[in-house]
Amino acid sequence: MAAVDIAEQQGTDIKKWAGWIVGIGIWFLPLFGMDFNTYMVLTIAGLSMGMLMFLTASGFSLIFGLMDVLNLAHGAFFAFGAYASYVLLNKFNAYGLVEGAGLLSSIGIFILALIASVILGLIIGLVLEKIIIRRVYGDHLKQILITMGSNMVMLQILILIWGPNEDFVPIPGAFDGSFMLGDIVVSKFRVVAIIVGLIVLAAIQWVMTKTKLGIIVRAGVENPETVQTIGYNINRIFTGVFIVGAALAAIGGSMFTMYKMTVYPHCGDEYMIFALIVVIIGGLGSITGCFYGALMVGLAFNYVAFLAPQLALGTNIAIMLIVLLIKPKGLMGR
Amino acid sequence: MTTMTTPIQQERFFEKQTRFTSKSFMVQVVFLIVLIMVPLVPSFKFVDMVAKILIYILFVASYDLILGYTGILSLAHGMFFGIGAYSLALPIYHTSSGPHYYHFFIAIIIAGMLSFILSLLLAAFSLRVQAIFFALVSLCLAEFFLILGDQWRELTLGEDGVSFMMPGIFESRTMTYYMILVVVVFLFLVLVRFTLSPLGRVLKGIRDNEERVIAMGYKSLRYKIYPIVLGSIFASISGILFAAWLRFVDPLTVLGIDTMLFCLLMVIIGGLGTMYGSIVGVIIIYLAQTWLPNILKAIASVLPNHPLIIGLTERWMLYFGILFILIMIYFPKGVIGTIQAKQRDKKLAAMKQ
Repeated sequence: MAAVDIAEQQGTDIKKWAGWIVGIGIWFLPLFGMDFNTYMVLTIAGLSMGMLMFLTASGFSLIFGLMDVLNLAHGAFFAFGAYASYVLLNKFNAYGLVEGAGLLSSIGIFILALIASVILGLIIGLVLEKIIIRRVYGDHLKQILITMGSNMVMLQILILIWGPNEDFVPIPGAFDGSFMLGDIVVSKFRVVAIIVGLIVLAAIQWVMTKTKLGIIVRAGVENPETVQTIGYNINRIFTGVFIVGAALAAIGGSMFTMYKMTVYPHCGDEYMIFALIVVIIGGLGSITGCFYGALMVGLAFNYVAFLAPQLALGTNIAIMLIVLLIKPKGLMGR
Repeated sequence: MTTMTTPIQQERFFEKQTRFTSKSFMVQVVFLIVLIMVPLVPSFKFVDMVAKILIYILFVASYDLILGYTGILSLAHGMFFGIGAYSLALPIYHTSSGPHYYHFFIAIIIAGMLSFILSLLLAAFSLRVQAIFFALVSLCLAEFFLILGDQWRELTLGEDGVSFMMPGIFESRTMTYYMILVVVVFLFLVLVRFTLSPLGRVLKGIRDNEERVIAMGYKSLRYKIYPIVLGSIFASISGILFAAWLRFVDPLTVLGIDTMLFCLLMVIIGGLGTMYGSIVGVIIIYLAQTWLPNILKAIASVLPNHPLIIGLTERWMLYFGILFILIMIYFPKGVIGTIQAKQRDKKLAAMKQ
């Protein structure tokens, strides 16, 4: 008996390792089509793009994984976050504090912009959860429809406030431009994006696994009644999860506007589709899956855009279909 | 009455006997005659409105088959509409010798094949996990097609759109109108018949209680794929009709997410799972969509000239969104659904007495 068990164990181990090796090795294939420096530039671009997508997608995945709510108004949170930091950066730029700033004040202004978008995201998330989302717990169909309606309303409010046009966003001086790492040109903001993405990933994992709050939230998802009898207000916990998800979307929006240096009302809808693809690839509700999915999409998009530009548009959909073909529930889906 | 034993059989027998004398049949005949007379009205605006409403009825009814009868949310229905529209517009545009009758044939083949393959793939890929997965995957695919229509300029001319001529007798709007009328009425009756068939009843069963249907021995995955494929093909046919009527196709009007949202609103306001509800829903929303901007303009002209008020009255989509949310919360059964529920209550009350 034991021997069979061990053999089976080894079999699954080998399968797992083979999966990892293939999964990582496939990203070295583009090296055959380009020289090393280009490859490194594209890899850094892909990683930063992946991190930005992860920021947006993680909020969606968190809300679905913990609350079982499909929030298609995520794009609106993204757009509001983007506009919050746009307004703040523009205000400070009028005093000459943004574009010509040194390293320290750049970091300060950058953090302020993120905080502004987080606060706006928290407020809007709170309002939406209290008024609308609360009524549709447990009914996916209604959730999708009602959040699509909310998305439409919020987008129109956004256009009402800031107008329908594309605007230029100034970014902190120290993050503008690029530097050389050996022979490789590295854009500074890409490094910032990678760092912020890693910090957010670490923070989510730490809160969910190591703190008491995370344990309560996870227990509340497993068994709401018991958690409630112990004395925690489950509704308040769910509201908290929702607004954190909204704030993550707002951070994503804020980062994206600074990355692209422009902002426009429909940006939320566009990047929500990216986020959805990432979430589907990673598996609904899994944060780590979402992380891998985002990196895959970001890297693949950059390589394909270099090797065969006319195919770049279809890459995301192609990856999604391939992953769904191999694992119908996504990479880490339960 | 030797074999008519069960109540359902008796009901069917009764229905067969009174089919051509019943009140609802008369209403349908009158409705049809009115629709045939429409081109006699000299105003082009009115004919245009009726034709568009007819096309939307087919579009929304085919959506009701997927969402209302089977309970699967597809967000790619607008995409199939767009595929249909482009499969008529592009062959005509890219044929140098001008439009011919065979272009309709080509359009039906291209649209039918494309929507058949795409919907089959979509369903096979995503329904294996969860019905709700289908919504997300279809949304991504629809967005992809919108981007494709926008950016593949050599083929679709991008956001400028494609305008084209119609062949032969369809040059006149009246003939196009009659073609639309015939196709829509025929396909709508096919849809109604489909929902009353044994297959349609299985679909309702899946919507209401999937486990039980599986326990009765039906393969539910296969039964979910049928309505998706059928509905998608019908949507692409309505797209062909739309292109034939407008003679102009651009990505935002046929492939955009707004088309999809309006379709959802129409289905829900008419009543999910009621074929005739889609007619009511289309008429209500279409009229609201045409008149709301004008009403808002009238309101704006009365009020003082403040930028906020101008902004509030220009953004009529805002009110549509609010309406959408309110309907979802307070009126989820829709018009026909509410009427049917009331009738059922009355019947039950009468049976109890």
